Amino acid sequence: MAIKTLAICRRAPYGSALAREGLEAVLAGAAMEQAIDVLFMRDGVFQLMEAQAPDNIEQKNLWRNLQALPMFGVETLYVCESSLTERGIKLDRSRPAGSEIKLIADTGTFIAAYDHVLSF
Amino acid sequence: MKFSLAVYAAPHSSQSAASALRFARTLLEQGHQLYRVFFYCDGVHNGSAIAAPPQDEANLVGQWQALQKQYSLDLVICIAAAQRRGVLNRREAERLERPAANLAEGFELAGLGQLADAVANSDRLVTFGN
Repeated sequence: MAIKTLAICRRAPYGSALAREGLEAVLAGAAMEQAIDVLFMRDGVFQLMEAQAPDNIEQKNLWRNLQALPMFGVETLYVCESSLTERGIKLDRSRPAGSEIKLIADTGTFIAAYDHVLSF
Repeated sequence: MKFSLAVYAAPHSSQSAASALRFARTLLEQGHQLYRVFFYCDGVHNGSAIAAPPQDEANLVGQWQALQKQYSLDLVICIAAAQRRGVLNRREAERLERPAANLAEGFELAGLGQLADAVANSDRLVTFGN
């Protein structure tokens, strides 16, 4: 049986490099045909907001990298529901093309189902 | 049990880097296996040969090197993260036309595939964040 890995993205898209480098690690794993899912939680949910304008702070746009997830076979993006509620974020339309958002109410149980967790 | 570690923390900056080293040493002393240590993000600085901490502070690079020698460890530094932050071996320094190479002996540069491989081949992956 394939090892199931979960990458948890908890950082806001800019301010630390971990959001970008975490996403790069996810894409590398997916490119190696690893069974990898992604859960966005806490400030990581900000990564999923479409209107990012990092040019103003001379950063590359992370939203563009997120578009690569479905191309690498990561089509379902799991998002912690309470992290969205706490921040007043609604992801009505905002999602990478070709992906589907699934809200997770009980993140503990969700995470426990995986063999390995990568934390970013 | 077979472990791998992912280290995101720079030495002398976050306690997490020292904790990773202590965890590695302890699990080896207890007879577990350490499949790989993957240094990512700011953790790449753990492999810089030119760090010169004061003598009364722990020399993490030297301690990793000693542990590597004793147990033939696979200490891998993410090449993309290392290029950004200036940890280069001779080949990369020449290729990228930089004035110096500073990768410490005992460490090697490799791609993110080595992290995915570590996940696939270890019973536990333990992350030391920053």
